[in-house]
Amino acid sequence: MTMTVISQAPVEPPAVTVRRQTPSGRIAMTLAVLGLVALAAMPWWASTGTIRSVLVLCCYIAVAQMWNLLAGYAGLVSVGQQAFMGAAGYALFVFAQTLGINPFVAVFLSLLVPAILAVPLYLLLHRLDGPYFSIGTWVVAEVFRLVASNLPLVNSGAGMSLRVMSQYSAFERNVAMSFLCALMLLVTLGGSYWLLRSRFGLALIAMRDNPVAAASQGVNVAKLRFLIYVAAAVGCGLAGAVYFMAQLRINPPSAFDPMWANVAIFIVMIGGIGSIEGVLIGSLIFFIADRWFGEYGATYFVVLGLMTLLVALYARTGIWGMISKRWDAPWFPIRRTLVDPDR
Amino acid sequence: MQWFDALVQGVLLGGMYAQYALGMALMFGVMRIVNISHGDLVILLSLIGISMAMAWGLGPFTVLIILVPLGVFMGWLLQKAILNKVVGSDPLPSLIATFGLSIALQNLMLQIWSANSRSLPGEGIESRSIDIGGIYIGLLPVIVLVVATGLTWGLDLTLKRTRFGRALRAAAADVEAAAMTGINPRAVYALATAIAVGILGFAAVFQALRSTVAPADGAAQLIYAFEAVIIGGMGSVWGAFIGSMVLGISQGIGFRIDPGFGVLAGHIVFLIVLATRPQGLFGKA
Repeated sequence: MTMTVISQAPVEPPAVTVRRQTPSGRIAMTLAVLGLVALAAMPWWASTGTIRSVLVLCCYIAVAQMWNLLAGYAGLVSVGQQAFMGAAGYALFVFAQTLGINPFVAVFLSLLVPAILAVPLYLLLHRLDGPYFSIGTWVVAEVFRLVASNLPLVNSGAGMSLRVMSQYSAFERNVAMSFLCALMLLVTLGGSYWLLRSRFGLALIAMRDNPVAAASQGVNVAKLRFLIYVAAAVGCGLAGAVYFMAQLRINPPSAFDPMWANVAIFIVMIGGIGSIEGVLIGSLIFFIADRWFGEYGATYFVVLGLMTLLVALYARTGIWGMISKRWDAPWFPIRRTLVDPDR
Repeated sequence: MQWFDALVQGVLLGGMYAQYALGMALMFGVMRIVNISHGDLVILLSLIGISMAMAWGLGPFTVLIILVPLGVFMGWLLQKAILNKVVGSDPLPSLIATFGLSIALQNLMLQIWSANSRSLPGEGIESRSIDIGGIYIGLLPVIVLVVATGLTWGLDLTLKRTRFGRALRAAAADVEAAAMTGINPRAVYALATAIAVGILGFAAVFQALRSTVAPADGAAQLIYAFEAVIIGGMGSVWGAFIGSMVLGISQGIGFRIDPGFGVLAGHIVFLIVLATRPQGLFGKA
């Protein structure tokens, strides 16, 4: 047996540079940084009422972006993320109220609970195929709600109050809320953006477009899905902990409210699945619609439901999909564009 | 004796769940679609039935005769107007579409019928019971179980023996190959959904007779149907039936241990089956 050595002619790397940022991206990034600073500085320019409203908007954005990562990239359509929101919310109340830990430390400590719960849950749920996975996540959220309703540690069905917050002044609380809002957006949106621009981002986008093809190119689809599921659990946990810290009260129906799944699905589908821009657009639309039409109650939800249905039928890329088809000006560019400097 | 009673009540409860689970097993087996508005359709049919009974003084049997064809029509319409547009290898569009429909239906029902619980007057059959060796068994739950068994048997036979059943199984196995042999998959799908929702017409009448219905109840019915299908094993009609029995018995025994534990016991048995036998009790690995 003879070995032939195939000599490879040295290939000159083409003289191109990789461009990853665009003018629109630079403008958006500047605005995003300014926005985060303005958020963190809210106590000095906004009323307590405004801060509360903005906090709810930030929770919408965070939960929607987590759902977007799950459904838009990992192909994991969860309708039970409220399980992690409620779990972290309850953990905060137990740490701060029952165990007497400083509530602002407890917020971060409480994120351990969704992280730890997500691991066995994913191992259980990933056995369910496509649509069955979704209802499986819902069952888990129901189990959490029923367990909380029967658990004396969290005062069963009666719920808990965060009385320890009364030792802080209104201004101190506002500072904490504003800081947490800014941090929440930085972690969920900024973290997602960073993730999508990294090596994992390439793998994620490949997986979004076709999981089988991505796997054939060496993407570890199973591992990536698992990591996304845990990350989304922690992100939703953060939103839950912050939301219920502002609410000062938690009980099983509010902690594990399926409303959050409706909100996340509506925001992401209307705004545009698989993009960060879509989440921002969708969140703003939902937030404004909720202010203006919330008083119409049931009728308003009929319209929301029908809009979700119509988007799924006729416009699956949502509003951002339609915009980006016309104007190529991403706010959060994640593409790598090759530029030939000679040309 | 107390536990035997719980077992019997559980089996009877399972009869109710089987009527929900059959349609879901059929739709998932054929189209790989899970209709999130499954439970809401039951509630919608129930509320329509109750309103008709009130307005025209109809008995439960007459309501059943009206609701089943109405369910068949609604299923056909659902397939034509919505599901045919989203059926495919990607589960996301069908999920989102039926999810949106579910929210819209729930709130529409809330608007029309308000949040009150209602039930169907049953001309006395709902309160009659039979005494078998010291255990009192309600007549109505027995009828529910008998009807559920009959529906399962009939559906199983339809799938195995009829021309439509063969077309359906062919389309489920390979849509394109089935289309090549002259089967129109869309027509088959429309008929499958029509049958699935038609069966919900039975469930609607019995649910309204057995207990009460309110617009927000659909979610729980969807979850029970889903659990029964997974416990029994996907794609099998008798599997869904047995899964319903297992779920009913788990809840029945759970309720006997502690009233707050009943529904949770069902969920826990579901999770145990998922952990130890993900293909379901009767599914092939």
